[in-house]
This record gives sequence, C-alpha cells and structure tokens, in this order.
Amino acid sequence: MSILEKLKKISRKEPEIRHFCIQTIRFKKFLENARVLLDLFNDGREKVLGEYIFDRHYVVSLIDSVIERLGMMVYDASVLVPKSGETLYAMYDKHKLAAGNLIGFSASGNGGAISGSDTSEISLSAEPEYQLLSDVLRWFDGKEAPTGTTVMDFMKQAFFYVLQFDAIGGLESSDSMKNQSLFENSGVLASDMGIYLVDLWKDALALPEKRRAINDFNSVPLKHLLMDAGVKDVKSGPENIHNGASWVAAVSEYQLSLNTLKPDFQFRLETLASGYEQSDFIFIFADKSASLDSILPAGFHIESTDYGQLAWNLDVSVKTIEDSLMIIGRNLFN
Amino acid sequence: MSDQPLRIMVIDDENIVGKRLKPALEKTGDIVETFEEGEKALARFAQEPFDIVVTDIRMEKIDGIEILEQILATSGRTKVIIITGYATVEIAREALSKGAFDFIAKPFKPSDLRAIIERASRELRS
Repeated sequence: MSILEKLKKISRKEPEIRHFCIQTIRFKKFLENARVLLDLFNDGREKVLGEYIFDRHYVVSLIDSVIERLGMMVYDASVLVPKSGETLYAMYDKHKLAAGNLIGFSASGNGGAISGSDTSEISLSAEPEYQLLSDVLRWFDGKEAPTGTTVMDFMKQAFFYVLQFDAIGGLESSDSMKNQSLFENSGVLASDMGIYLVDLWKDALALPEKRRAINDFNSVPLKHLLMDAGVKDVKSGPENIHNGASWVAAVSEYQLSLNTLKPDFQFRLETLASGYEQSDFIFIFADKSASLDSILPAGFHIESTDYGQLAWNLDVSVKTIEDSLMIIGRNLFN
Repeated sequence: MSDQPLRIMVIDDENIVGKRLKPALEKTGDIVETFEEGEKALARFAQEPFDIVVTDIRMEKIDGIEILEQILATSGRTKVIIITGYATVEIAREALSKGAFDFIAKPFKPSDLRAIIERASRELRS
C-alpha cells in the first residue's frame, strides 16, 4: 500500500482518531531522526579511535548530517507540540552556529569552538582532522562540556517537550479522563486486557462498534507483548472492563505504540519489529518513579532526566525485540 | 618477481591520507611514495612507473579520473585504485569503466585498502 493510499485511509477516520494516528506516526518519525543522530555519534566515535583513515571532508559531512537531522527532529517536535517550536528553533539556531564555528575555526587553523579542553579520550593523534573530530564529538555529547551545550542535551530537551506536552504521551492527571473518553466516544472500545486498540493503517470507514479481541489485530509486537501477560486469566473477557481502559495502543503489522492512560503512571513504549535490524528498535519513556530495572530485560540503554527515564535498545534482532516485549508485557500487565 | 616489494604511489591532496597510509602500507615491505599534488605525482610517474597508484578522485588541479587516464596511457600494467568520498561513488563507477582496478570509499581502514592491493598484486604477478 502506498503512503498516499494509507493517508487517504487515515483521512476517513473520525477526526480525533485521525489526529491520534497522525501524532503517533509523527512521533515515530521523531524517534527515527533521533536514532539517526545516535548512529552519527557512534560513527564519529568509531572513526576517532584511530583505525580509520578519513579527511576533513568526512568530519564536515558528519557535522552537516547532524545539523540536517537535528532540524528534522526539531520540525517533528514542533509539529507534535506546536508551542515548543519557538524555543526549540532558537536552540537549534545556536547549534547551527556552533557547527559553523567548528567548521570555520578548523578551516582557519584554530582549534574547536566548544569549550572544554580534556582531549584524553581522543588524543590518539594531533592531526587537525582528528582534533576537529574530537571537538565535534565533544559538541555531540562531551561529558566535560558545559551543561546544556551539547547536541545530546538538546535532544533530551526536545524529548522533554514532546513527552510532556504531546497529546498522546505525557498525560497529566487531568487529561487522563479526557483521553479515555476520547477513545470511548470515538468508538474505539477497550479490547482484552483493558487496552484501547487503534489500527494505524487499517481502513476504518466505520470505527468499530464492539470490542475487538487482540487476536483481531494483525500486529506482531502486540501479540508478543501480551503473549505471556495473563490474557487467559481475564476469564470474563472484555466485559469485565467497566470504567475505561488503562492503556491505549496504536498498532500495525510490525509497529506498536503503547501509552498508559493512568493518571499516576507515565509509560510509553514504541517499537518496530520488522526483521530489518537497521530500523528495528524498542523505545520507552517512563516517569522517574518507574522501576525500569524490574520491567525491562537486560540490554537497554537507560538515560535518566529531570522529567523521566528514557530507555532504548537499537540494532538488535527481531527475536531479541520479541523476547523483550514478552518480558515487558509480563512485568507490566501481570 | 614475487619476492620483490611493490612500488606504490599514493596521491591525495588531504595531507593526512598520505601521512597515515605510508607507514601502514610500508609495514609489509612495499615501497610507498606519497603526493599531495597530481602534477608532481605524474611527473614522478613519468620518471619511474609504479606497480600500484592509489589516488583520491576529487582534487583541486587534476582530478583522479585524469590521473587514471594519464597513468594508464603511460603504463598499461599499473593498477589504479580510486579513493572516493561520500557522494562520489557514481564517479568511482565511471573510473572503473575507464580502467580503474577498484575503488575504496573514505573513511576506510588501511587493512581494507591492503586487501585491494593484495588482489591487484596477485593480478600483476600472475
């Protein structure tokens, strides 16, 4: 199915659900751009170790790629949360300036533009190309760089806006009931396990009028998430759910976007399990109080921020993702 | 012939490339000369041909394609390996169609270039 056909189908859905689907898809683009940025950081780190031969052009291309992708990420964030646009674009301009300074200073034979002078981790060579790359890496994610000046700091800030204020994620307590009623009023009724389920791409000329079983949704990650999560224990089935669901999930064959609707527990899981390792991932956002150690299996990179915890696992096989989803599902729902 | 060291010429206007490749390629006993300017490299080649020429494709005065053509016109047995940047893979394909032995994209590991040189060496000695 072409993108155009998919969009045509989305446009037939009810406005609220259409908005929900578009936000979910945009958030996936946001994550995709963040992932490319992490890959670019890793590429630079690999090259600076000394095994590779590269020239100044490589480093300049790396800087250009980071700025380009950062711009795409800021765009996604400002679409998801329009009120974040002004702040994020102002910060983005500062990073464009820093990037220009790095390129300009190195071209004129000076050192890098980012403060901090500890080059111990990249002192393999005194060549200007290596010096420039080490300065660039410090700009990316230098631990010794002043707080708030690195690209990674900026990415965390963008995540903060998106996760705290996006209409899907970051549900504050006052919004929880509103969001619950959004799905109920739209006819998306809670399925087994008390999860509102939305098929991201399925033709929804008419939204469902009755609860649908999870097995009605052709979603590989959803099935794995709930495979070991006590579905059989819900003996009386969905009729048991009287007061709305606690979760909402948007799914497609290989995608899952799971969000909590609980007022006192923020949790958001995004995954793609397509079998193409370069694009598959699991991303999780949880509030600071969540015990991710007891929810996630080993292998996740976890970043704690002032506003919550970010966790991700990239470059892993689809089998690892599916196994991880089973463990996460069991820990979340049992 | 098989015990003789290879004579390898490296041409790249980025100083760091020759500086890093020379010791890496000399480890196996081959003779390596590096040049940052195509004209000087061609003048040297006219004096004494090399078995293998490794040249960057994008350089200011003479580009890698022109070097390839002049080298092959002077010495048909020389194997020319093209170094490409990010967005020059298409040009590298053009170089292959004009007789380049192979190409390698920057950034690369010296061991990757060494593998290509060994293949070229086998052809030269066969």
